Amino acid sequence: MSTVKNWQLGRDIAYPYDENRPKKQWAIVFDLNKCIACQTCTLACKTTWTSGKGQEYMFWNNVETKPWGGYPLAWDLRVLEKLGRQDWSANGEYLGKTLVEAAPPSERVLHWAPEDQDWMYPNIGEDDCAGGTVDGGGHMAQLPHDKWFFYLPRTCAHCTYPACLAACPRKAIYKREEDGIVLIDQTRCKGYGECVRACPYKKSMYNPWTRTSEKCIGCYPAVEQGVQPQCVVNCIGKIRVMGFINPPWSARADNPIDYLVHQKQIALPYYPQLGLEPNIYYIPPVHADPAYLEQMFGPRVHEAIERYRALPQDPVAAGLLCLIGSTDRILHRFKVERGIATGSDADGTELVSVPVTESIFERSAFDANLGVVRNNTP
Amino acid sequence: MKSPHIYRLLGGAALVSLLSTPGCGDKGTAPTAAAPGLPAAEPISELTVARVDADLSKPDPDASYWRSSAPGAITLIAQPMIAPRPALVTTEKLILQAVHDGKHVAFRLSWADPEMSEAGGLGQYSDAVALQFPFNNEKLPPVMMGGDGDPVHIFHWRAQYQHDAEHGKPDMASLYPNASIDMYAMEFHDAPGGSRDEREMFNPGVALGNPQSFHKTAVDEIVSEGFSTSAVQAGHGSDGRGVWKDGSWSVVVTRAMTIDGGSTLAAGGKSAVSFAVWQGGQAEVGSRKSLYMNWLPLTVAP
Ligand code: SF4
Ligand code: SF4
Ligand code: SF4
Repeated sequence: MSTVKNWQLGRDIAYPYDENRPKKQWAIVFDLNKCIACQTCTLACKTTWTSGKGQEYMFWNNVETKPWGGYPLAWDLRVLEKLGRQDWSANGEYLGKTLVEAAPPSERVLHWAPEDQDWMYPNIGEDDCAGGTVDGGGHMAQLPHDKWFFYLPRTCAHCTYPACLAACPRKAIYKREEDGIVLIDQTRCKGYGECVRACPYKKSMYNPWTRTSEKCIGCYPAVEQGVQPQCVVNCIGKIRVMGFINPPWSARADNPIDYLVHQKQIALPYYPQLGLEPNIYYIPPVHADPAYLEQMFGPRVHEAIERYRALPQDPVAAGLLCLIGSTDRILHRFKVERGIATGSDADGTELVSVPVTESIFERSAFDANLGVVRNNTP
Repeated sequence: MKSPHIYRLLGGAALVSLLSTPGCGDKGTAPTAAAPGLPAAEPISELTVARVDADLSKPDPDASYWRSSAPGAITLIAQPMIAPRPALVTTEKLILQAVHDGKHVAFRLSWADPEMSEAGGLGQYSDAVALQFPFNNEKLPPVMMGGDGDPVHIFHWRAQYQHDAEHGKPDMASLYPNASIDMYAMEFHDAPGGSRDEREMFNPGVALGNPQSFHKTAVDEIVSEGFSTSAVQAGHGSDGRGVWKDGSWSVVVTRAMTIDGGSTLAAGGKSAVSFAVWQGGQAEVGSRKSLYMNWLPLTVAP
């Protein structure tokens, strides 16, 4: 067992292999305040990658309603239950055990193993509210109201310390040096399903036709060409941006992902306490139950929400949010100057520029020149 | 290191003492509860391969020639070396018989397993057994799957593979009869210009030729040079057939005695063998297995 640095937990953790950070680390940031659960991302992934035999039930990208939804069934509750109560210190250091640290000697990772039925309700709990009961009508007239839910889109997190990789006795899973994408070698996998058991996020899936396990491939063929993944570029809500994250000690303020995660600290990893250093990051929903959010995102979630609420006063952050969803290309750098947000490639080539505030034109509905009435259809 | 095997033995002994009649004199040996279908067998520390006058190229668990080989029992333990491993041993006793006809050698392996598991669906695992032989009969390789440059030759039978051999590889409709699938985008066989490669593009294991993804004969031949190195080889006509009845498996694995570039057993010669058993019903697969931690010496009758 090695000791490795986990910046998300503010301490060193145990892991079966040495720390070996890739040259670049694939990452996605999701703004949960904007997801509408249209599942376009889910279908973009499905039609691109998993339309084959044995993949019928697979959603490498899925969107579930929290707190009731979960694919596979109650994956989060079941792994948290296994781990039991753990605590954070007041300054954000994790005092509890990670899944590797809590594993009995006979296991690499503490886990629960899903059965096939668990995978068969991908949309369970959709749009179900949590919170207190509504006494009378018109609760929407009063904000904030006590009903909440939010949508949680999920892909594989291409973890820095993947549980799937740790658990594979055949060493058939590897993390790419060039971009940190975690892949299962489809020529070596024997379908033991250890990764399916071990991944707490349940993003490794067994294919009963090919008898191997499969998982989100981070859309590496696109990423290799500087293009963001399918589930990102097809997002209707423009809630997602994929890029490369640096650890905090080498973060760059002009890197969009570093900016959101390290500089502004408004995007947080989910269930970081499991100890994998997952690389999907969420801007937490501002309206959901704070205790629930703390369980999912850790104690820093409350400050993150405060900072997010203050974003309209920050022209740089507002500019970056405008760049999200405005190009298929991977943004390595961005800048906001004179009301224009510009994103560029690794070598500085400009990829896209957008106004931070769109100009507003006002005109009368009746066009006297043409003698017609025009509707505004945005 | 605490051995999980010890826990199980102590637990077993405690149970036996609760059940045994008070005043029963013999405390030295705990009776082993044999499954109804399991043959009676004495513990052995080496195995003799009897010569029979029969054609052993095809496996037959019920053949009369098995009477030529006295059943011997060996004790397995939970794989102790690498995690993930079983916390407790699931298959403690493996009963062995072995015969040869000069060309083929066949082993009949029996063990208690309360449920028969053929795998297939998600989270399901297959009952299985493996025999391991050294490449080098004089200087035996490390018993745990061989060593670097010191290979072992493994014959791996799975109930799942036998199902393939007897009934064909199950398709999705037989694994999940109630599932409805509108179409597989790449499976329009009559599409003009559609090629096999295109159709298999969405079956990664198949497209890449992973042996795991194809229809199996009952037995996989594997060469290994240490942990995490095992690789399926082209077979040499080895075969297997198992019968599960009354809570126990009886599985015959037959192989050629001489395999070029592999392990070889010669009539009148000596070699060694080791074993592993998986109980699919206990979610055992891969490194989660019961095994024999030694090489069992083999004497092949002339
Ligand atoms: S496409 Fe975007 S908005 Fe729609 S469900 Fe997916 S993440 Fe949410
Ligand atoms: S999310 Fe799961 S499948 Fe993906 S890298 Fe992490 S442990 Fe592996
Ligand atoms: S990154 Fe690609 S493979 Fe992974 S969930 Fe998104 S679309 Fe699917």
